[in-house]
Amino acid sequence: MNVTVCVKQIPDPALPGELDPSTNTLKRDGKLILDESDSYGVEMALQLVGAAGGGEVGIISMAPNGEVSGMRTALAMGAAKGVLVSDPELSGSDALTTAKVLAAAAQKLGHADLIIAGTESSDGYTGTVPEQIAEVLGLPSVTFAKSVVVDGDTIKVNRQSENGYDEVVCSLPAVISVTAGVVEPRYPSFKGIMAAKSKPVDTVTAADLGITPVGWGGAFQQITGIEQAPARQAGEIVEDDGEAHLKIVAFLENLKVI
Amino acid sequence: MYEWSEEHEMIRAAMKDFIAKEIIPIRDDLEHGDLPPYDVLRKMYKTFGIGEQAEASFRKRIEHEKAVAAGTANDTDKPSRHAGGDAGLTLIPTIELCRQCPGLITALGVSSGLTASAISGKGTIAQKQRWVPDLLTLRTIGAWAITEPNSGSDAFGSMLATARRDGDEYILTGNKTFITNGPYADTIVFICKLDEGNDPKQRKVLSFVLDSGMPGLTQSKPLRKMGMHSSPTGELFLDDVRVGMDRLIGEDENPPKGGRDGAKATFQQERAGVAAMALGIIEQCLELSVAYSKERVQFGQPIGEFQLIQQKLAMMEVARMNIQNLVFRTIELSNDGKTMTFAEASAMKLYSAQQATACALEAVQLHGGNGYMAEYHVEQLARDAKVLQIYAGTDEIQTRAIARSLLAD
Ligand SMILES: Cc1cc2nc3c(=O)[nH]c(=O)nc-3n(C[C@H](O)[C@H](O)[C@H](O)COP(=O)(O)OP(=O)(O)OC[C@H]3O[C@@H](n4cnc5c(N)ncnc54)[C@H](O)[C@@H]3O)c2cc1C
Repeated sequence: MNVTVCVKQIPDPALPGELDPSTNTLKRDGKLILDESDSYGVEMALQLVGAAGGGEVGIISMAPNGEVSGMRTALAMGAAKGVLVSDPELSGSDALTTAKVLAAAAQKLGHADLIIAGTESSDGYTGTVPEQIAEVLGLPSVTFAKSVVVDGDTIKVNRQSENGYDEVVCSLPAVISVTAGVVEPRYPSFKGIMAAKSKPVDTVTAADLGITPVGWGGAFQQITGIEQAPARQAGEIVEDDGEAHLKIVAFLENLKVI
Repeated sequence: MYEWSEEHEMIRAAMKDFIAKEIIPIRDDLEHGDLPPYDVLRKMYKTFGIGEQAEASFRKRIEHEKAVAAGTANDTDKPSRHAGGDAGLTLIPTIELCRQCPGLITALGVSSGLTASAISGKGTIAQKQRWVPDLLTLRTIGAWAITEPNSGSDAFGSMLATARRDGDEYILTGNKTFITNGPYADTIVFICKLDEGNDPKQRKVLSFVLDSGMPGLTQSKPLRKMGMHSSPTGELFLDDVRVGMDRLIGEDENPPKGGRDGAKATFQQERAGVAAMALGIIEQCLELSVAYSKERVQFGQPIGEFQLIQQKLAMMEVARMNIQNLVFRTIELSNDGKTMTFAEASAMKLYSAQQATACALEAVQLHGGNGYMAEYHVEQLARDAKVLQIYAGTDEIQTRAIARSLLAD
């Protein structure tokens, strides 16, 4: 079984990020790392291929400046090869363009029985790309997968819902998005790290994939403004007069978390 | 080599992550609660495939040795120790662990480093296969025992532990002290002299491999000590322990240079490891000191504004740069299949150990009263650093080795 994973390379969240005032987007010119929310997809793919007893995990990424640092992490974990789409023309791409680019990159990488993406990236949060990739490729899509079992040419997915999970059966090939925390991403082994550099990563441009127009020109979506997040409000202090637990329950119910 | 490679940095990032998740949460138990370090070290080995890789490269080398013995291969094209990687592979974990718990590296280095090398360096093929793979993967824990209550720096001269022949077996007697992993070791390399009724100064030095639980062998509880608490240190008592020839390393009573060069190779290896340990300690002291210098305000300004504090930071940075360069040199040499001369290894060990202690004490000074409190990490690092000047050959013994080499004709 071959699985392709979409991996986003993002600025290290541990460092202070910066916005570009002219475009209202995050500056991505420094070193990028593998988005943690995609490490779950990589791990799930490695587990599925391992369980299938054959095949390989491929990765695809769209990133500026030919950046492969984050992809290397996925290759060190055990992915076999990758396609990177890196092209100044892609600067300013909206979610749909990104999906088109990734769909084409997936085809360039070769046939996959399953394409996995994270539910949403940690630096963009549009949360729409996986379904758009499915649409572009004409494949079924299952979102919020928390567990996946391959059964012949179908997959059984437990899909996270607001009050539990749905059991979904879906034919392959398909596109799924996995939620964070559903598997424990492995550490790359030292051997994997040493091997990562020699694994093939094909770097291509949007034009190589036959995609035009792209970037700002191709975007249907625009960031029209950015604002500071509202300062956190002072919390409510509940004095325990013996009834405090009821107030806490009411508070949580109000938030719809219980 | 003038900087760490991309792979080294990936290993560092993965190690830092592992340390934050697996070691920092138990650091108090390791440092102050007598929690033995072996489980977390095994977890680290497993997580990163370190043992697996070491075992695979060991098997390759053994196959090669067998082929050489059978006359079907040439001794010159030995497979590299660092299959698919380089010496930096082991030094990055050393540096990163020493930033937090140098004792972990003491325990690990003695087990999968010194003990395994003592057997794989001079043992027979059968002995290597019997003990080395388990040591390299931490399935067993090793100890290497030369020091005795009355024999430290003068390791060979004052050694009292003996082996006596008894038929085709040996009877071993003697006490060893300050033995890293002594309390918990499964496999012990015991160094002693062959007593043939001759003058002790003339006796041959032999090394035997013991397994814990052998009749007559007692392993003490951990000794209380100043630092390196995450590395258990103990005594070994041998009261007529009977062993066969199969436990004499090399199965040869007449090893080259009277058996002294096996132990000497071990000294050399220890000395190179100490530089990487010192680098980890200094990096951590410096990082904590820079942060504290910006944060701590006295006389209305951050203490980093005072020139006397700046001097401490600069001195630590100079030491860090020098020792990092020495570590780079050990990596380069090792990748080229070369080793330092004994005198150079001694010089590197001397300088690194002194600087680690000096920097750690300056870091305590810079932290003021907080630096003396166990809550601040520099307090532990200063206690830990001191032993680098004592074990693996004291400062004075390194100094002597350097001078002797300068004065030799
Ligand atoms: C934490 C720890 C772990 C250890 N682990 C091990 C282990 O795993 N295996 C093992 O075998 N040993 C181990 N040791 C022992 C260590 O190697 C010895 O402590 C060390 O070699 C010094 O020997 P000594 O303690 O007998 O000091 P001594 O040799 O008695 O030295 C006392 C002082 O005299 C100085 N001195 C001695 N001779 C000379 C000379 N010729 N010229 C000038 N000055 C001299 C020394 O430098 C020192 O300052 C460990 C020690 C410690 C503290």
